[in-house]
Amino acid sequence: MKKITAYLVLFLLSVASLPVSSMGQGQSRNSVLIKGGTVMTASRGTLEATDILVQNGKIARIGKGLTAPAGARTIDATGKFVTPGIIDCHSHAMVSSINEGSYSVTSMVRIRDMLDPSDMTIYRALAGGVTGANLLHGSANSIGGQNSVVKFKWGRSAEEMVVADAPPGIKFAMGENVRRTTQSALPGVPLRYPRTRQGTIEVIRDAFLRARDYKQSWDDFRAKKTRVQPRKDLELEPIVEIIEGKRLVHAHGYRSDEHLNLLRLAEEFGFKIGTLQHALEAYKIAPEIAKHGAGVSIFADSWGYKLEAYDSIPYNGYILWKNGVNVSINSDSGERIRRLNLDAAKMMKYGGVPEEDSLKMITLNPAIQLGIGKRTGSLEVGKDADIVVWTGHPFSAFSRVETTMIEGETYFDRAADAEGRANMAREREALEKIDANRPPGSGGTPPRVPAERREERGHDEIIDTDGGTHR
Amino acid sequence: MRSKLCLLSFAAICLFFSIATDAQSYAITNARIVTVSGATIEKGTVVVRNGLIDAVGANLKAPADAQVFDATGLTVYPGFIDSLTNLGTPAPQAGGQGGGGGGGGGGFAAQIAAQQQQQQLQQQSITNYPLGLRPERDVLDEVRATEATFETARNAGFTTVVTTGRGGIFNGQSVVINLAGDNVSSMVVKAPFAQHFTFTTVGGGVYPASLLGTFSALRQMLLDAQRLQDMQRAYAADPKGMPRPPVDRSLEALIPVVARQIPIVFNANNENEIVRVLDLIKELNIRGIIAGGQEAWKVAGRLKEQNVPVLLSLNFPKRTAAASPDADPDSLETLNLRAETPRGAARLAQAGVKFGFQSGGMTSLADFFTNAAKTTENGLTKDAAIRAMTLGAAEVLGIDNRTGSIEPGKIANLTLVRGDLLARDKFVPQVVIDGKVFEIREPVRPAGGRGNQGGTPGPGAPGAGAAPPADVPNIAGSYAITIEIPGQPTGATLTFVQQGNTFTGQLVSSSFGTSPIRDGKVAADGFSFTTVVELGGQTIQVTATGRVTGNAISGTMDSTAGSAGFSGTKNPN
Repeated sequence: MKKITAYLVLFLLSVASLPVSSMGQGQSRNSVLIKGGTVMTASRGTLEATDILVQNGKIARIGKGLTAPAGARTIDATGKFVTPGIIDCHSHAMVSSINEGSYSVTSMVRIRDMLDPSDMTIYRALAGGVTGANLLHGSANSIGGQNSVVKFKWGRSAEEMVVADAPPGIKFAMGENVRRTTQSALPGVPLRYPRTRQGTIEVIRDAFLRARDYKQSWDDFRAKKTRVQPRKDLELEPIVEIIEGKRLVHAHGYRSDEHLNLLRLAEEFGFKIGTLQHALEAYKIAPEIAKHGAGVSIFADSWGYKLEAYDSIPYNGYILWKNGVNVSINSDSGERIRRLNLDAAKMMKYGGVPEEDSLKMITLNPAIQLGIGKRTGSLEVGKDADIVVWTGHPFSAFSRVETTMIEGETYFDRAADAEGRANMAREREALEKIDANRPPGSGGTPPRVPAERREERGHDEIIDTDGGTHR
Repeated sequence: MRSKLCLLSFAAICLFFSIATDAQSYAITNARIVTVSGATIEKGTVVVRNGLIDAVGANLKAPADAQVFDATGLTVYPGFIDSLTNLGTPAPQAGGQGGGGGGGGGGFAAQIAAQQQQQQLQQQSITNYPLGLRPERDVLDEVRATEATFETARNAGFTTVVTTGRGGIFNGQSVVINLAGDNVSSMVVKAPFAQHFTFTTVGGGVYPASLLGTFSALRQMLLDAQRLQDMQRAYAADPKGMPRPPVDRSLEALIPVVARQIPIVFNANNENEIVRVLDLIKELNIRGIIAGGQEAWKVAGRLKEQNVPVLLSLNFPKRTAAASPDADPDSLETLNLRAETPRGAARLAQAGVKFGFQSGGMTSLADFFTNAAKTTENGLTKDAAIRAMTLGAAEVLGIDNRTGSIEPGKIANLTLVRGDLLARDKFVPQVVIDGKVFEIREPVRPAGGRGNQGGTPGPGAPGAGAAPPADVPNIAGSYAITIEIPGQPTGATLTFVQQGNTFTGQLVSSSFGTSPIRDGKVAADGFSFTTVVELGGQTIQVTATGRVTGNAISGTMDSTAGSAGFSGTKNPN
């Protein structure tokens, strides 16, 4: 009887301590009314004391004095700020393996294979108002793996998090990480080509030449000019997709000469680069980037943090914006992802990018860069209800996220989080009493409560266990 | 000392019946027979002839030519199957077979050596793939018939196992073998059973050097295997004007996988790994099986939907003694995993997922039945638990037409059990493999009761129980000892509970907690025992020998970590 009671208690606790995200699921999918907030739309200005009606995961109406349909949940946002969900255009959150460092061209590998929907970084990002991200391969290779664009639907499966209609992308990289200046040459260990910047662009060019030949061999076979079906090559297929304009290139790099080289190579092969990533020197080639039509995804600061970032300046984002380039600000970090709102604020400080355009750099602009700008990134009727409610202005260091919703479902709620912590403490207490959790033989001391410990993904580049760098 | 011990234990052997191994046929009568495929026969007869089950029934008369053995009080089960082991295969050589992740750990010199060895081996093989990524590896080439481990598994009650290789991404094509035979070929029940796949890397910086690459490498290899087969067929039909298809043993070995003739067994324990495997199986349209499956219950619906069976490990996670006060505490996730794992089998059964039990690399096979019992305490029916180690496992392995139940015509693989199989007091007196009977020695138990396996002293003062034989010294009691670990002498308490020439008890230390004593034996010239200590999350097997002279105790403890002397005195009662 005692045992049964214990299990019953445990069951109830386990229900009570489901991820906070599950609270919003089901009950509020149909209608939510967010009342009376200061609505920063990121595309149509800031609207005071305005309501947003969410229905079936979409923004149904925006206006004053909206009435909640029967059964709708109401969030009182009076005195609070409402923004679109933040999108991080460069992240390695929820990716279990980031670099395939063996070859310099690893276009066959897929981040999708390595998604971990239980990564706590997701929940922390939600608490910072982030609803979506571009999950990229690391920067160990000239041409790295295929990306995944996700929404952070904490508690859901990886499959449900992937934004199915986002165009596919791929990581390119140039500079220090690719030529592996951080890895010393050891006797007997072969050096991987390329070892220089000129080698890097050659490897990329070679890959495109091979892909062009590969495409030709298939075209010939389909036209019945050849008898033997060509080998399906998972390395070259994505590169053919790039040439055909079906796959977005996200090119890591710091020095403007390298990025300019890549833009020219793309023009030679007849495609457009999706984004230049990091690009702390991009201000030097802002007109060329604008003319090509590439987006740029930068750090808001990190000036001169490594040798090839030596020429970076605080006004990079402003100069790019002034030249009409689509600029986004990314985190590339499980820690900084929580406060991208403050990184956007820096754009106002250095050069004076207007408030809405600064907000766009963490919302609508990255959405456009990732090809999902039509469905998310701003608060407009018909778009996905990816919405954040803040206690104050999102550019204030004193503001906190109260609620983060994706497609109308709440995945972070500050009050529910506090409750969840108490439930977890009770769950731990109950679990510690179970035989399997007691030390063998003694029936003795129960396990101790964990101290907070979390490995920090630092700002500087990291050699990870896959043997490559990803920053 | 050894010969004396052997003599003493020999005297303790319980013989129920002894069979001339060349007998053509024999009948086991008056037994309770759990046929698994049909109803249990409370009192019946199994007739074995020429290595096969000839007949089974309640009112069966033993044939005239059959030797008759009275098995009153025993239960006959189909021979138990351990659905995943490495039995009979050699341990991986350092740096070889591509085991381990990323080639790290051994330092750069080891990495270079591994790389050179790999290059060398690559030149010797007709393949374009690095060591570790070679599905042509066949465990039949590696199994040795004379392995002592086969006897250990038989003694625990197993007749049949799946065995695969160790190390590598492709672990080797596995075989189903019976645990006895004159040579490997007579042991084989099914070969090959499956390809086995571990999500690791080949090491030495060679592609695939990350899990990302491992997934992609498998995809490309399966595509290439399909293409090779197509080219071979086209070339056989008309070679003119066609380039010659290459010979590649690795790709050829994958053709049966592409053709869905043999499955790939993927080692995957946590939910995320299992989901990745399920996605991959769907994408590649191959037959897949999950091995390990600790969190398989979390995706039971998908397993059922995709018809993916599980070789479910009974090596349940459990808490080990804390190594030091500074050790990291257990996360909520870990605490939950330990609580939930024993409930997994019932949840899989409820969802209609097929599964067979496997030992999962457990150190003591006794845990197999103890933990199978835990699954029944957590919702699985006893019948379902027994099925998972007999016919259910045989179905997953594709051998249910020849073994797994007690039916006429099937292989005479039987396990005879005294007591309740899923209780602690069960004992396996005999296993029958291909009709051949193997006697098993009954372990001598303390008078304190059969349930006393935990090694903690039973009720009553240490030393209670029958007086030892005249030539066996009485060493019962508690001793304060110092273990001379180099640079770190460690205090401990040894407690012996003696029963004749054997003893149980425990070794207690503030450094490594409480460890039950196993295999305690005492003779005129000294005592010996083994124990397992948990140090720094590692399980270390310790073998101790020593002697008691008056109130003084001294001896040596040996382990893989090294050897240390110990000495001390008896505590006053």
